[in-house]
Amino acid sequence: MTVLSRRAATTQRERMSRAIWLVLLGLLLLVLPRLVYPVLALDILAWGLFAVAFDLLFGFSGLLSFGHAAFWGSSAYATAFLLSHGQSVPVAIVGGLLSALLLAVPIGFLSVRSVGIYFSMITLAFAQMVSFLALQWTAVTGGENGLQGFARPSVLGLDFSNSTTRYYVCLALFAAGFLVAYRMVRSPFGQALQAIRDNEQRAQSIGYNPFRFKFTAFLISAGLAGLSGSMYAFGHGVVSLEVVNWRTSGEVVMMTLLGGTTTLFGPVIGAGLVLLLRDLLTTANLPVGIVTGLVFVLAVLFFRAGLVGTVQHWLRRKSADDDRH
Amino acid sequence: MNTQFLLIQVFNGLVNGAFYALLSLGLAVIFGMLRIVNFMHGALYMLGAFVAFALGQILGLGFWPSLVLAPLLVALLGMALERTLLSRLYGLEPSYNLLLTFGLTLLTQDLVKQVMLSQYAVSSAPYTTPTVLTGVVNLGFVVFPKYRLFVIALALVVCLVTWFVIEKTRVGAIVRASTENPVVTRSLGIDVGKWVTGVFGVGVGLAGLAGVLAAPIYSVEPYMGAELIITTFAVVVIGGMGSILGSIVTGFAVGVLAAVGAAVYPPMANTLVFVLMAVVLLVRPTGLFGLPEGAR
Amino acid sequence: MKRSNINTLIATAALSGLILSPLGAASAQSLKLSNDLIKIGVLTDLSGVYSELSGQGSVKAAQMAAEDFMAKNKSFAGKVQVIGVDHQNKADVASNKAAEMIDRQNVDMLVDMPTSSAALAASEVAKTKKIPTFVVTGATTALTNEKCSKYTFHYAYDNYMLANGTGSAVTKRGGTSWYIIYPNYAFGQDLNRQMTAAIQDNKGKLVTPSDATPFPNTDFSTYLLKAQSLKPKIFGTMQAGNDLVNVVKQYNEFGLRQQGIGLGIGLLFETDVAALGQDAFAGAIATVPWYWNLDQRSRDWAARFEKAFGKKPTWAQAGVYSASTTYLQSVARAKSDNGDAVVKALEGHRFSDFFARSAYIRPQDHRMILDVYTVQIKPKAQAKENGDYFTKIATIPAAKAFMPLAESKCKF
Repeated sequence: MTVLSRRAATTQRERMSRAIWLVLLGLLLLVLPRLVYPVLALDILAWGLFAVAFDLLFGFSGLLSFGHAAFWGSSAYATAFLLSHGQSVPVAIVGGLLSALLLAVPIGFLSVRSVGIYFSMITLAFAQMVSFLALQWTAVTGGENGLQGFARPSVLGLDFSNSTTRYYVCLALFAAGFLVAYRMVRSPFGQALQAIRDNEQRAQSIGYNPFRFKFTAFLISAGLAGLSGSMYAFGHGVVSLEVVNWRTSGEVVMMTLLGGTTTLFGPVIGAGLVLLLRDLLTTANLPVGIVTGLVFVLAVLFFRAGLVGTVQHWLRRKSADDDRH
Repeated sequence: MNTQFLLIQVFNGLVNGAFYALLSLGLAVIFGMLRIVNFMHGALYMLGAFVAFALGQILGLGFWPSLVLAPLLVALLGMALERTLLSRLYGLEPSYNLLLTFGLTLLTQDLVKQVMLSQYAVSSAPYTTPTVLTGVVNLGFVVFPKYRLFVIALALVVCLVTWFVIEKTRVGAIVRASTENPVVTRSLGIDVGKWVTGVFGVGVGLAGLAGVLAAPIYSVEPYMGAELIITTFAVVVIGGMGSILGSIVTGFAVGVLAAVGAAVYPPMANTLVFVLMAVVLLVRPTGLFGLPEGAR
Repeated sequence: MKRSNINTLIATAALSGLILSPLGAASAQSLKLSNDLIKIGVLTDLSGVYSELSGQGSVKAAQMAAEDFMAKNKSFAGKVQVIGVDHQNKADVASNKAAEMIDRQNVDMLVDMPTSSAALAASEVAKTKKIPTFVVTGATTALTNEKCSKYTFHYAYDNYMLANGTGSAVTKRGGTSWYIIYPNYAFGQDLNRQMTAAIQDNKGKLVTPSDATPFPNTDFSTYLLKAQSLKPKIFGTMQAGNDLVNVVKQYNEFGLRQQGIGLGIGLLFETDVAALGQDAFAGAIATVPWYWNLDQRSRDWAARFEKAFGKKPTWAQAGVYSASTTYLQSVARAKSDNGDAVVKALEGHRFSDFFARSAYIRPQDHRMILDVYTVQIKPKAQAKENGDYFTKIATIPAAKAFMPLAESKCKF
């Protein structure tokens, strides 16, 4: 085979493998509420989309946000607030998303100029301020007691008191969000973003405005984080201060790294693994910190590309071996 | 709220500042030399306090021997971790280090907790002030605990010595060279790896020292470093990543800011540092004392 | 109080059953248990900051309650089970696990629940699923006020009882001028409000408005220096857990006791005293619903618990035993583990056990009231044995210890 035709074959194969991954993930998510408790399944969807949103910024733009809880949390609070004030579910979810976007405009505008660790820290700083506001503004957030027991009036005959129904509604939202991310990454916009990530000066010299691209990516990421936050509030019927805590920002970083960054599927798998582990530990009577810590340490030593990334490497190497034979 | 009370708070803030300075100095040394963000720093601080407690329980050692021994033990542990684990990740994306040190943090916290629970009814350790330094002293403008004065003094000395060694001595020059240009340094016949391990040891040793110093005045419990590490990150960033002087000055300054903040509007006290960080980064993107990217 | 007719019907049936057959004589035929089993779900913190004062000890306490109950009531032999689940102090995990325990594991009752947001979240789930819920370690008065639920009972203590007890007792003993600090969240704000009211009701005063400190917080020196210059008779701290340990450690360091400034504590667990050593707390005053060497009955139970668990019980763990027992006895009275029937059997119930004296479950807001005790912490030199921390200085009768019904905002 010539080099060119081999490359064509590889992209062909990659496209195939991507399609297989997509179908596998789709099937898995369709049957998930039969495999695990529906509310846990819902959690996996919400956190999965949150991790995808984070990875848009981290994996594809090279910006490690350490303050994404601000968008997830503000959206969760907005959704819960709207629901407890008699708004319908669609209004509340859109309201949550919009609140996250609104917050992302100033934060993104001010922070995407920074790079590396400075970007991480400035996003953390803003998230800490949001967290402080959430604690203070008890009329909206319920403070330490949090918000719970808000109504989820049925829409189009869908009974939202049933967790399985909620799951499939969220699955639709998840699919929409995932599609946005998927399309964005493959679009010329996404390609330019990755070019900027790899070499900002060169990208600039061929006419890209890095700020505009990064800012747009920030907004999309925050919007999707907002969507996942409202899914979380709607799904659980509970919102507490935990949603704006820096640990939440840290958790989504860990989920993404564990699953595999820039793979799009990886963050979802990572979120699933972390949540399943957490769920297992609620009854396993094992020391939570030791087990979770060990998982992270082993993952970074042996599955550095994340689970999905490792599997992909392995498949790619295998197919390269096959080519040679 | 009178002026004298605010002035007292400025002075009082130096105590907290001393802890921030020691911790952020350690982080800055490690980052400057190794380009690692050591998430484990808070856990090593905690470990310093618990090692001091254990030395007292097992060997009957008091505060003073522990003040020397505990940081050394923490430094040794840090160096072992650097050799066996962290060194595998050099040259890779820095976020892997974050994941690794985060995992080690969870592990350490829980290990300490389990060990404590197996030995005592609770996971917190009582630790008392050394007898010579108990009690308060009247400074004229304020009645202040003797031990806190000692903390300020010791931290200042340690910070200045560290700064002097790194910036002004031959040892410091080698250390700086081996991280800024490892290839050239190696060609001069210097074992870079050994220096890196040593520097990491010094950095975490400082965290261990801060931990021992904290034991008599703060609650000694497995999560004592968990919130502190986030504030310390902010201090390092405000000062400028890797800047030795920056971390010392900012450490003390943030301590003072928090104490004055606590006097003026208490609920906001711990959030002020993040407000300051946002403002500083917007005006000076690489921190107060940081060099612009690429200038190194 | 509004109830559906069906509920009233079931309740009346249960009540008539109670009148017709005396307790303990419940025959196997008339006893109706779902899955022929009563399952107690201990929803608690098994891994985090509250795990030492509740945690595995709470699970053990519930197990003891189940065993004791089965031994005394032969018709229930082999029919009571206990499971423990870790809610990790997260509201979402609490609501998720509460729902899962009820749906998948057929849990009939939930108990313990430290962390207010987690307790409220679980209570909300239990309400929709009609499962009796006994909050023991959660403190918030919202549980018997705006967030009250027909199926939730608040056991042992709450913010009001703590603040009211300590505020009144200390002020009456001459601690008439106060400076208070409280953690800046719902729990602390509530506690501060109640404490202030109790002080003023007893003709005491605050020397300056209370300060809301960040939460969590390590260094309290600013407030201690402020206390030093204001010279109140009492420095009141509403902090809990590690924050409290920090406050007390630094209160000693700044020598406030020597300067004649006493210490009033909002919420004190035995584990806090153990964490710091009792000398650091010596002289401080707090309010507790129980302690292990309160009297001989308490000692007897505590000795059994220590033998089974290896540590002395905290009042939270003793409360879980008492709550579980109270629940099981109400099932026996109702002859059913149906949520509505049990709730009916619990409402207005008066009882007394080793933990709860003059106890009564108010039907209007489901606050369980009991005699509580204002205690002073002894210096180590006066302790007769390990863990002998408290000297009782006052018993507050149940009727006066808790928020009066007239003030409750509860509507089922």
